[in-house]
Amino acid sequence: MTEEDQSLITDEHRAMIGRRGQPKSVTVKEEDARRMRDVIGDTDPRWADGTGMAPPYVLAMLGGGRAPDMVRILPGGLLTQQEWKFTRAFRIGEELTGYSQTFDIRERLGGRYGHSVLVTTGTDYYDAEGNHVASAMMTITQFDPKRAERNE
Amino acid sequence: MSLYYEDVNVGDELEPLPWTPTTDMAIDFFGRDNPTNPAFADAEAGKRMGVGGALVPGLLKVAWITRYVNQWAGPDALVSNLRIAYRRPDVADRELVLAGHVVDKRQEDGENIVELEVVTLADGQPSVRGNVQVKLPTKG
Repeated sequence: MTEEDQSLITDEHRAMIGRRGQPKSVTVKEEDARRMRDVIGDTDPRWADGTGMAPPYVLAMLGGGRAPDMVRILPGGLLTQQEWKFTRAFRIGEELTGYSQTFDIRERLGGRYGHSVLVTTGTDYYDAEGNHVASAMMTITQFDPKRAERNE
Repeated sequence: MSLYYEDVNVGDELEPLPWTPTTDMAIDFFGRDNPTNPAFADAEAGKRMGVGGALVPGLLKVAWITRYVNQWAGPDALVSNLRIAYRRPDVADRELVLAGHVVDKRQEDGENIVELEVVTLADGQPSVRGNVQVKLPTKG
């Protein structure tokens, strides 16, 4: 077995799978909603100035699904999969509570990035009444850029 | 203008939409005071990651896809689910084309659900593939 074939995932990493992190409060900020909306030229009247509503993609500023204690095994990282779910629209100024967890950690040998590690995390967001508002899940492919260059 | 469930058919195509993401968009999307991946603004940092230039953030692309579908569906719709697979990195200042079509429609638990497949094309090749679920109003 070569050095590249040996697993990079330890028992400590595996123990993180399924573990829920501490709840984290986040606020839907008007400046984020306005800035993001304007960057992509979104003229949807539902989240225009004065409506009190924020576009769904403001979720990216709430953490986007990345667990605060996401395991870091290799130095490079690219977002390779993403899932967003919405139960209702965001309201400007509302405070949400996010519960994050690591869903999966697995390895991949070969391919463009060489020996890579795929880490899937997610966050569920609830409002003050405990109602689900949105969820975000993401998979980051971690890789060693030096090895990736060799595989180009 | 609202799109109604009854007016949608499997196979309907969304009008392709060209878009050229820039490094300024990438930085402004997250806010200039917020820390982000250096590769979003710096082509050399992108090259060190194995990308051919400044990297277009995945979250910017998923936001763009959300806007694209919302624009098609109209103000009475709810985009309820997006599943996105980033097949290869996109480089800033290169044109992308968004395209999509309806793959399913059904009524379930009192909801009028339409499923779309959406793709981002770079030089005609898919760089992002997405499945988007939208809830539409009915005329009844």
